Amino acid sequence: MKTMELHLTVNGESLDWTIAPGELLLDVLRRQGYVGVKRGCEEGECGACAVLVDGKPINSCLMFAAQAEGRHILTIEGVAVGGKLDPVQEAFLDHGAVQCGFCTPGMVISAKALLDRCPDPSEADVREALAGHLCRCTGYLKPVEAVLAAAAKRKHKARRAKPVAEVAP
Amino acid sequence: MFDKVEAFYRPASVREALRLLHSGKGQARVVAGGTDVVVQGGDSIRFLIDITRAGLSYIRPRGTDLVIGATTTMAELEASPQIQALAGGLLCRAARTCGSLPIRNLATLGGNMANGSAAADTAAPLLVLDAAVVMADAKGRRKVPLAEYLVNVRTLRYAKFLLVEVVIPEPPQGKGCRWSFQKLGRTAVDISLVNVAAGLQLDSRGRVKWARISLGAVAPTPMRAPGAEKRMTGRILDQALLAEIGAEVAREVSPISDARASAEYRREICSVLTRRALDECSAHAGCSL
Amino acid sequence: MSGNRLVVGRNLRKVDGFKLVTGGAAFTDDVQLPGMLYGKIMPSPHAHARIRRIDTSKAKALAGVHAVLTYKDVPRVPHTTAGQAWPEPSPYDTYLLDSKVRFVGDRVAAVAAETRALAERALALIDVDYEILPAVLDMEQAMAPGVAVIHDEPDSTKIYDREHNIAGYILREIGNVEQGFAESDYVVEREFRTHRQQHCPIEPHITIAWLDADGRLVIRTSTQVPYHTRRQVAMILQIPVSRVHVIKPRIGGGFGGKQEMLLEDITGALALATRRPVKIEFTREEEFYMARTRHPQILRMKMGVKRDGAVMASQLTVLATTGAYGSHSTTVQGNTGSKVLPLYRAPNMRFECHVVYTNNPVAGAFRGYGCPQGFFAQETLVDEIACQLGMDPLEFHRKNVIRLGDTDHLSAQLGEGKEGLPRLMRSCGLPQCMERGARAIGWAQKRKSLPNGHTHLRRGVGMACTMQGSGIAGVDWASAFLKMNEDGSFYLQVGASDVGGGADTVLAQIAAETLGVTLDKITITSGDTDITPFDVGAYASSTTIISGGAVKKAAGKVRAQVMEMASKILNEPVDKLDCANNEVFTTCVCRQAVSMTDIAMRAMYKEKFQIMDGASHFNTDSPPPFCATFAEVEVDTETGQVRVVHLATAVDPGTAINPMQAEGQVEGAVAQGLGYALTEELLLDAAGRPVNPNFLDYKMFSAEDMPKLTTILVETDEPLGPYGAKSISEVPINGPAPAIANAIFHAVGVRIRKLPIRPEDVLRALAAKRAANLEEEALLTP
Repeated sequence: MKTMELHLTVNGESLDWTIAPGELLLDVLRRQGYVGVKRGCEEGECGACAVLVDGKPINSCLMFAAQAEGRHILTIEGVAVGGKLDPVQEAFLDHGAVQCGFCTPGMVISAKALLDRCPDPSEADVREALAGHLCRCTGYLKPVEAVLAAAAKRKHKARRAKPVAEVAP
Repeated sequence: MFDKVEAFYRPASVREALRLLHSGKGQARVVAGGTDVVVQGGDSIRFLIDITRAGLSYIRPRGTDLVIGATTTMAELEASPQIQALAGGLLCRAARTCGSLPIRNLATLGGNMANGSAAADTAAPLLVLDAAVVMADAKGRRKVPLAEYLVNVRTLRYAKFLLVEVVIPEPPQGKGCRWSFQKLGRTAVDISLVNVAAGLQLDSRGRVKWARISLGAVAPTPMRAPGAEKRMTGRILDQALLAEIGAEVAREVSPISDARASAEYRREICSVLTRRALDECSAHAGCSL
Repeated sequence: MSGNRLVVGRNLRKVDGFKLVTGGAAFTDDVQLPGMLYGKIMPSPHAHARIRRIDTSKAKALAGVHAVLTYKDVPRVPHTTAGQAWPEPSPYDTYLLDSKVRFVGDRVAAVAAETRALAERALALIDVDYEILPAVLDMEQAMAPGVAVIHDEPDSTKIYDREHNIAGYILREIGNVEQGFAESDYVVEREFRTHRQQHCPIEPHITIAWLDADGRLVIRTSTQVPYHTRRQVAMILQIPVSRVHVIKPRIGGGFGGKQEMLLEDITGALALATRRPVKIEFTREEEFYMARTRHPQILRMKMGVKRDGAVMASQLTVLATTGAYGSHSTTVQGNTGSKVLPLYRAPNMRFECHVVYTNNPVAGAFRGYGCPQGFFAQETLVDEIACQLGMDPLEFHRKNVIRLGDTDHLSAQLGEGKEGLPRLMRSCGLPQCMERGARAIGWAQKRKSLPNGHTHLRRGVGMACTMQGSGIAGVDWASAFLKMNEDGSFYLQVGASDVGGGADTVLAQIAAETLGVTLDKITITSGDTDITPFDVGAYASSTTIISGGAVKKAAGKVRAQVMEMASKILNEPVDKLDCANNEVFTTCVCRQAVSMTDIAMRAMYKEKFQIMDGASHFNTDSPPPFCATFAEVEVDTETGQVRVVHLATAVDPGTAINPMQAEGQVEGAVAQGLGYALTEELLLDAAGRPVNPNFLDYKMFSAEDMPKLTTILVETDEPLGPYGAKSISEVPINGPAPAIANAIFHAVGVRIRKLPIRPEDVLRALAAKRAANLEEEALLTP
């Protein structure tokens, strides 16, 4: 079987992997132990395989691993930093947004990307961001509430981080 | 599955891409976003040629035209100020409906054309804007009207060519000039059951100076509706004319029945969406019906 | 709900939430076993055929292929794949591999190879000569004389009438319906049709099997029924139950599709043949047509009422198809009668049902289990009757629905494959469900007038009342085991299968409440046949009430041991002690306390005693959860599209052990109910092949399609449930289809009696109505 070398960054770690030329990113990531990236449909419809590539959510079942050359990938395993959960993850737990959990990594990834580029999303923005993630358990309501709550918390924290002097009288 | 692929290439230029395509002797497949290529699979594919690094991601003016590189993604189109400004954001609205966000971050305009699906959401707006595509082969570049391209793309005629660019001539400007895009799917994120793009201009008396109507998913390829367009010219745009045009369009299309909808339903929806598209145009053109 | 509960009734985080939200290795596929092979099933391309000749030599010769199995290589043991208590009330008509195939997708052969690609290539090298038989694809033709017999094999058993393709037949009557109709002032009979919905768990079916170092067959699998699976695999592969170990890890959704022994037998057979670990994972396409679907039904419902709306008689006649095999065939359809008709206090009820075989994908258990079909018919019919009588449907329901203290006698006739047991309504929050749901949707106001201007959009509201059960009376049972650890924590072992709904959390909360500890002091292991005691599994809405009942009993016994030990330490009699917040304390004014940790240490290292105990539990009744569903829709009369604006669901689940999780169950069930009503349908072509086995063409609701959801929990106190709990996981799926159909009628005056209700169905109905009106007008014109 033919192989090729792939150099990329995953969750901040610079890596060199040997892959087959026709391998998909989803398969390579799972093979390398990133089992939080899920296989749900292999046709880009369910979103369970979503990862961030250079900050943008994509379905890893549709990208050839070779196309990740030189790029920065974020998987669910890289969302919590130093063992500390991201506000989105905390909110998912607090709001009952996790049931079977199979769609959860993908949703968290997309939610994180949304809040990174749009810190104050409307409910419509959140639903659009999650529209590519099929969930059979929750009816989407609690995940949407969780993302909105995470956004509010991030905003609140940002405000509180400001020196007292900057707070308007 | 792509287990028979022997090599994956990422050419840095169109010339290099074409060289690889030629040497692949029919066993090579060009890929950009992968949203169609990967899903379609291919046991016979030995070589993959990723053209996302061949310098084909751009949106820029060229003279009075706007040119879009083939590997420009749907998400990039949505975010582009030039595309937002073009024809009232017509192409933007269509790009926005091309699947979910993760799909739109990968899916390319060139891919949407090259896949040759009658339901391609960006095709109807591009047809209504009289767009052309530029293809390249070893001998050079060729500019072809989009309508002609879409008819031939699924044949072998273009097998040696690489789609490199979409060219949009400056749309008609002026007062009373408006555009609309309508799409009907079963759910919010769906392949079009029917899509319609329309543009028109009204004179100061509410008469149609010109009208363009194109439809997708209701014929073997996306199409214009020349009969309906002609019928509208010079007429006062009122509810009666809308009903007449809706009926005319229903006669011009040839939809099929499939898992998503029946042909009869699609035909009915053509009339409805065409009326709605023209209605939306007229409302924004400052003429109330 | 009542009193000072510290853990039950609280919205605590899921005990497995951390690993799910961080993508930790938790699901079946999240392990890497050295030497693992990829298994694949060769699906039949024909709906009905005999295998005249099958040549696997080329496949076997392919380098990297380790096993190729056909019917010649495996034992022939008739069985059912239905995950049900033994003896299963489903026909024993299935074989590990057979020389006959009975639907497109049926097993022809199976291979195990070193890579997925090799496995696929091996399948392509298997040479089969089929004798194609006439296919029976239309359930309305299946019983006709001269039609091909699908199960002509002599060794299948428990088939009602194999010559006529009847897998099961049910007839039950209470009172005398003919008399009831005769006494009615108004009788209506209508026909309804429902379709194939697929479970679409985001994690498809997947099983990994291997032989451990002791030579025992270990099966790690995505299942709702680990114990039934163990029993069935042992029987089919002809090895002792003690040599089979089934492990259920985290499951990515089941919804009934995994209440089935689906891949475990064949994966096990491949593991035995190769002596290597083997994984079979369904692709999404395979999941659609080679797994299970909901039973399609044709229902004729007839109801007789008095002028004042009192229901005198109700009769339901059903034709259903179970597809090619009889998994859950009589039990699902039995529910269509037994859980549906008794919603109304009719003195006369009759239920008759034929369940036929067809050469179609196999139907099985699916959330609601026969109730969505039955309630679609009944609640739509009832709405029509109410409207004809000029009665508010809400009023009709108030007048006729079952009440607290009533007994449902129909259930006594329709148990799971045998005589059932009557159901006494010891708790019933349906009246409040109706009131609060109606208020949430704005029923009173909107029934009278809606903002329907002169546009093409029309709004309407509709409702439906439904019920379910909580466990199968006299059949479902569970057990639990608890042991205490040094740090005052407890290790809880249950056979129950958390398939994502939060059962582990709910059971842990029940244990914690009983033991007087905080939730973090309970570590739970579930669904491992070596480690956990028996449980029938996650189905029939049984986990909270039955498994929870076992947990409460076991925890009660352990609590007694804890109290004994504390009594020694505090030198006080047990009846003067109580426990809460991780300590045992005296109830007198001079409060003395000892921590759970100290009790544990004393027991273990001084008394040399392991505090531990277990218990089993079952109920002889199945207290129904009740549900009132209200829908507001907006119909686009030009496109026929139905947009659900607001869906309000009011449920009586007994006590909600974890209200947040309970709401999540409602919202998820409603989303499936919305898809069932409007967009989801597995289509088959004229040759029985699936037309749309993928997410592009089979449409589920996404986050952008969902209406505004209101979820109301109307808690009651059920004596048969732990801390008053009943169940909640199925009942909310029953309401959306009829509520929406009724709302459409309110909006635009057309009744759609088939599912799904697609835009073109609405347009066609509107066109027919216009034509009928024109005809009427023409007749009236002088």
